[in-house]
Amino acid sequence: MIKRKLILIMENKPGALARVVGLFHQRGYNIETLHVDSVKDLSKYKYIEEKLETTFKENQISRLTIETLVSDNLMRQILRQLNKLIDVIAVSNEETTYLKGVLLDENLL
Amino acid sequence: MQALHDEGVELIFGYPGGAALHIYDAIFRQDKIDHILVRHEQGATHAADGYSRATGKPGVVLVTSGPGATNAITGIATAFMDSIPMVVISGQVASHLIGTDAFQETDMIGVSRPIVKHSYTVFDAEEIPKIIKEAFYVATSGRPGPVVIDIPKDMTAPDILFDYSYPDEAIIRSYNPPIDPDQTQIDRAVEAILESKKPVIYAGGGAIASNAEQELFELNKIIDAPVTNTLMGLGIYPASHNRFLGMLGMHGTYQANMAMHNSDLIIAIGARFDDRITNKPSKFAPNAKVIHLDVDHSSVSKIIEANIAVFGQVKNSLKSIKDTLDKKLDLYDSSVLEPWHNQIKEWKSLHGLNYELYKDESDSHPILPQAVVQHVHEITKGDAFVTSDVGQHQMFAAQYYHFDKPRRWINSGGLGTMGFGLPAAMGVKLAFPDDEVVCITGEGSIQMCIQELSTCLQYNLPIKIININNEALGMVKQWQDMNYGGRHSESTYQDSLPDFVKLAESYGHKGIKIEKNSDLKEGLKQAFAMKDKLVFVDVYVDPSEHVYPMQVPNGSLENMFLSKDKQT
Repeated sequence: MIKRKLILIMENKPGALARVVGLFHQRGYNIETLHVDSVKDLSKYKYIEEKLETTFKENQISRLTIETLVSDNLMRQILRQLNKLIDVIAVSNEETTYLKGVLLDENLL
Repeated sequence: MQALHDEGVELIFGYPGGAALHIYDAIFRQDKIDHILVRHEQGATHAADGYSRATGKPGVVLVTSGPGATNAITGIATAFMDSIPMVVISGQVASHLIGTDAFQETDMIGVSRPIVKHSYTVFDAEEIPKIIKEAFYVATSGRPGPVVIDIPKDMTAPDILFDYSYPDEAIIRSYNPPIDPDQTQIDRAVEAILESKKPVIYAGGGAIASNAEQELFELNKIIDAPVTNTLMGLGIYPASHNRFLGMLGMHGTYQANMAMHNSDLIIAIGARFDDRITNKPSKFAPNAKVIHLDVDHSSVSKIIEANIAVFGQVKNSLKSIKDTLDKKLDLYDSSVLEPWHNQIKEWKSLHGLNYELYKDESDSHPILPQAVVQHVHEITKGDAFVTSDVGQHQMFAAQYYHFDKPRRWINSGGLGTMGFGLPAAMGVKLAFPDDEVVCITGEGSIQMCIQELSTCLQYNLPIKIININNEALGMVKQWQDMNYGGRHSESTYQDSLPDFVKLAESYGHKGIKIEKNSDLKEGLKQAFAMKDKLVFVDVYVDPSEHVYPMQVPNGSLENMFLSKDKQT
């Protein structure tokens, strides 16, 4: 098992972080490191705004960085489970990104 | 209440209490939505769940804060495991009291988080219409599931007035469940179907959730593959059809498990390869390619790797496969499956379910539980809604009540919740008052929600309860017989069972006790003849009977116990 990094963009809403953290525990994965910020500089996420036909406002979304120790198969499962959370807008690891149910073969975040 | 009405809600199941009193007063002052007062909040969630499974519409529950909310948890978890759309509105202490350990305060959002699809807290009364719209959208779309709305008491205070308008649609930018499948995957799926000589269709609860029975039937008119259903999928393909193999898995039929194991192609439709299906995943169907149709990305390749994954509403995916296959009909000849069908026929004749069981009806034998289900099937002409609890009776009902239509078999498959059957039957009966609703239960399960007999009296719900009474926790006992040297640890209580006939009568219903084979048919007929009465039929059955077939632990699908002394 290798330490792997995940990046999430999600709605900055009460309880949203708890859903992400709770999911790791529920599914038996462990979090090694966790970092959360509300996003002030939105320029990096233009692509997502275009894709979702929406406009983000300052501090309306959060960016999470999570490091976890898992196998390849489990990584894919974690990505899919996170993508399923209603408040999660996009989630990516080194190779792939889930942008609301659509799997993209690149790391967008 | 106005928002619920605008959403099309006709029926709410609930129980009042302090934090929900403002809402209950609003219920009193309107006449568009009916409220069913249960006797325990668990009953409310199961009733809403049964209503939802039978109708396809979301069930709605209203409970108060604290114990009201926590009592609803088992029912929410039941709906979550089986992907049943449900909206649960829980009262909460007033906003300024949250976090102070106020009277009847529980962090409902926290407690329910792992067992809901999503949840909402109301922070501003004006948001209520939008939140209700979103909650129903989330609960019913994609892979359905329960949604909790926690409403602090001050948010429903009658002195808060605002300009009300109900949104036409819910737009959640971070939520986009797949609907139509990707054509490249459909093409690959069709290729695989054209190549297969030993295909099996394996359909589960997702196919029912998607209302895909017509599409499945039409597609299989072309493919002509054998079809097996999971416990959750029973009814999606007619049980009386000659291509139907019966249920598969832990207590699946011999032919269904053998066919899955030896197939070269598994077409999985809204099913999730759980541990009650696969037995040991590494030994599962070694030569089969897997096409997996599902609406949920995280269900595919979770346990069994899918060679071809088709994401979308399975109804649409099935239709796309059929349309594509239609254009290649000249390449497909279903007669290549003939040897496969012959092989399945042979398996069926070797160890099929024993349909002759109930013919042995002399009084020197105790009543067999299977025979009870077979008689109920015969008397109701196979057309009743059947709810069940959990245990041996559930498996006998699944095996021997042959469902020809979807949404007729209502049981807690994923969570395995004892106490589900009776309240679920109430929900079904309220939705379909003119149809026969049967609750096949056991004396263990029925006592877990027995208080709802009172609700049945209040709302005049003439359900037929068939209590398969083996005076023990039968499935626990079976495992103890098979794996624990017959040590029946805490699974028996024969000296302390209530007189169910008197119990039913004390609730104002009818009770019938059946102990002899010669009384079985007549007793059941009598019960079903009382159209306007809830009848509690207490049938004493052979306590030593086991459910077979049963998979051998850690084996493949081929490894089954077929009876107490026979193994594959």
